[in-house]
This record gives sequence, structure tokens and C-alpha cells, in this order.
Amino acid sequence: MFDSDTLYKILLVSFCGGVISLDRTAVGQFMFSQPVVAGPLTGWILGDVTAGLVIGTILELIWLLDIPIGTFVPADSTVAVICATAAAVLGGRGRPELSLLGFSILLTIVLAPLTMAADNVIRKWNTRLADFVFSGPGRDVPTRLSRAHLAGIIVFFVKSFVLYLVCIPIGAAAVRWFAGVPETYHNAMTLYTKLLPFLGAASVVRKLSIKTLDGFLIIGFLTAAVLGLAFHAHYVVIVLSAVCAGILGVYYRERRS
Amino acid sequence: MIQASWSFGRMQTLGFAYALRPVLEKIYPERDEFLSRLTLHMEYFNTQPYLASFILGAAARLEQDRSCGLDVSTDVSELKTVLMSPLGALGDSFFWGALKPLASLAAVAVLMAGAWWAPFLFLLLYNIWHLRIRAGALFLGFKTTGDAGALMTRYQMAKRSRLFKSISLCLVGGILGMAPVWRPEFRLSQRLPGLLTLLTGLVVTLSMTALLRRGGSPLKLMLGLAAVCLVLAYLGVAA
Repeated sequence: MFDSDTLYKILLVSFCGGVISLDRTAVGQFMFSQPVVAGPLTGWILGDVTAGLVIGTILELIWLLDIPIGTFVPADSTVAVICATAAAVLGGRGRPELSLLGFSILLTIVLAPLTMAADNVIRKWNTRLADFVFSGPGRDVPTRLSRAHLAGIIVFFVKSFVLYLVCIPIGAAAVRWFAGVPETYHNAMTLYTKLLPFLGAASVVRKLSIKTLDGFLIIGFLTAAVLGLAFHAHYVVIVLSAVCAGILGVYYRERRS
Repeated sequence: MIQASWSFGRMQTLGFAYALRPVLEKIYPERDEFLSRLTLHMEYFNTQPYLASFILGAAARLEQDRSCGLDVSTDVSELKTVLMSPLGALGDSFFWGALKPLASLAAVAVLMAGAWWAPFLFLLLYNIWHLRIRAGALFLGFKTTGDAGALMTRYQMAKRSRLFKSISLCLVGGILGMAPVWRPEFRLSQRLPGLLTLLTGLVVTLSMTALLRRGGSPLKLMLGLAAVCLVLAYLGVAA
């Protein structure tokens, strides 16, 4: 089904994905694993940064505030973005159309519960690492502690690597199948891709504010709209103005209260 | 690496003991004492991973004072127990709930307008703050022997959380307000006039926010949206 070049790319992305996924929990947490970084990085490895940028942006917005608190393990957005990007690029044979990007994002819906289940299994299994530390004589505790703790990195890597190795080929095959369906479905997925950023924005607003029509949201919207439409300002100016408007809004609110 | 062996049973316990091991090895040259202190630190531990450095610093200071024979009134286990929950809540709220959204939304805003360097902007904005606090908290914990008040005063995390969340909301508004200048992959329609694109985006977003507030999840909405798009495509609207 896949030629040797595609198989090599699947292996390469699975390995790199495993390393990137370590940043999510086990090592560093410098946020290389966030969709907005991991997506373009995967796209770059496979030769299509744009696909990674589009998928990464959308999934970043949708999963931005799904955060790990206590024992809650959220859906793994890193696995989702890397699988979706790889599936779109490999299934789309190089330069995927927008509809294929939308379809591969749709496939990540299946991945969310799967990644949560995999994470839960691994984190339950990791309890054995602690048991291992206490299993022998007391004088060996430091050595066993180091071994058990570092073994955790390998466990997290293997979990992600296996997930990539299984999910990317399935996703790529699904995208290849989708590439051959009638035009109507492609039109639907193109529209879907263009509407997803709004769902992402809604997801962020819902988590950041208790109001649907938050004052800061409106301030940012009006600032950007006026600068963009009336003055044709550069996007960097618009973003900086929105930030300044937010700071002024906070200052004003605190002065009033 | 404090979370390398994170488990439901022990959470960051092994990570904390692993991080403290070199310090204990240095200040307790006698093997038996080192082993007993290391074993003591293998009790249950879990907090926000970045702010764990503050507790690590404090624990290292207490152990150092103890090894020097100073009168240590604070019990290290008690200190860890007292600090880990509040610092966990504070860190989660600041790093995951405020700093990450701010850095992400700033990156997404410029990315949607066409900037290829947006991922670097995200990493820069996030890590400048995160590394500064992560490293600073370690030394502050050591210097103040775990005075959480000093941590709160220095980094003002509760106040900055509120500020960052408000700016993040402004950025979401800014992203929606920039809809006419989004890169073609994201732009709703090339034919719609700018004002109509803006209003359509705002209405769609607010409608989805309302649906999410009524108990919808992003996954359900993703599925529902796909179904709506299929219907629109059949009707010829999405062509």
C-alpha cells in the first residue's frame, strides 16, 4: 500500500514525534510539543510546512485550554497534530489540498479518547517504577531510583512512538481514500477547515471568560477591525494594538474598582 | 525532568527524589544518613512542575541547614506537604491558564495573518517567562527556605494571571477582527466584503461559544460542524 519512501517517512515522523512528545510531560516542558510548534515542525520534516501551520493553528486553538490538573490527563494534542499533519501530507502525496487538511483534522476526533486511554494506561503502569525502587535492599535505592526515573522517559517515548506508528499509516490511508470521493465532500471539508478557527476561538472564549460577549473580546475585535478595515494597518501593528487595548482595559478596570 | 516517571500512584515522587539526590549526596557524605534522607524524600509529592523548583530549593536549604547542625524548626516533609497544593493551584492557573494562552494566541494571531515565524514567537514569549520563573523560584526557595509569600510578591502571579487572561481575550477579539487579512487557507471567502467577513466570523464564534456553554464539547462541535458543512455542500452553498 505504501512505497518504501513513505514507510521511511512514517518511521522518521514516528521517531521525531516520540521525541517531541517527551516535552509534553516527561522532559523539559518547553512547549515544543504544542500544536502551533509541533505541526509546522512535522510539516517541515515532510516537506510541507504550510500543512503543518494550518493544522497546528486550528488544533492549538481548539485544545489550548484543555489543561492537566491533578490526575486529569487531557487529550494529547501533540499526537493529534503530528498524526493529522503526517496523514495529510503523506495521504495527499506531497501537496495536500485544504479539504484533505480538514479531513485529517476530523480524524483527530477518534484520536482524542485513544490518546487519553493510552496515557492512563502508561501512568498506571508507571506505579511499578516506584515499586521497583523499594523492591530491593536499602543501599541500592539511589541506583534503582535513577534507573526507574529515567526508564519513565523510555516508557513515555515508546507510548507515543507506537501511537504514531499505528495511527499515521491508518490516517494516511484514510486521506488517500478521501482524495477519491466526489467533489461535494471536498467542498464540505474545505468549508470545514475555514470554520474550525471560529470553533477554536469559541473554545478559548468559553474557558477564559464567564460571559459569551466579554468586554475584552469586543475591545480586541473593534481595535483590529478599525485598524484593519479603515487604516489597512500591518498585522503586527494590529496585534500589538490589541495587546495594548487589553492592558489599558485592565488598567481602567482596576482604577474603577 | 521531574515528571519523567509520573504515575497515578506516586505522581512526581520519584522525580523529586531524583532531583534532590545530588544535593543530598553532597551534603551527607556518610552513606547511611544519605540513604535515610533520600528515602524520606520518597513520600508522595505532586505540584505544578515548574514551581516544584521552589520546593526543591527550600528542601535543599533545610537539608543543608540540618547537615550543618543548625537548629531547624521546620520539618522538611511538613513544608513539602504545606506548599505543594497551593503552588500547584497557583502554577496551573498562571502557566497553563494564563501564560500559555497568551503566548499561543499572540502566535496564532500573527500566524493567521501569514507570519511564518509565529512558532518562534510562541516559544520566545512562553519560555522567557517560564525559564525566568522556573530558575528564579529555585534560588528563591533556597534563599527564603520556602517562604511562599516571597514568591507571590516577587512574581505577582495571581495579578499577572488576570492581566494575561484579559489580554488573551483581547487577542481572540483581535484574531476575529483580522479575518479579512487572514491567509487564504483560513479566509472564509475571497468574495465577501471585509465588513461582512468580520461580522460573519463574530456571529459564528459567539454562536459556538453559546453552544459550548450549553454543555457542548469541542469534539461534539467538531463533529456537528462537519455534518453542517456536508449539508451546506449538498445544498451548493459551500461550492
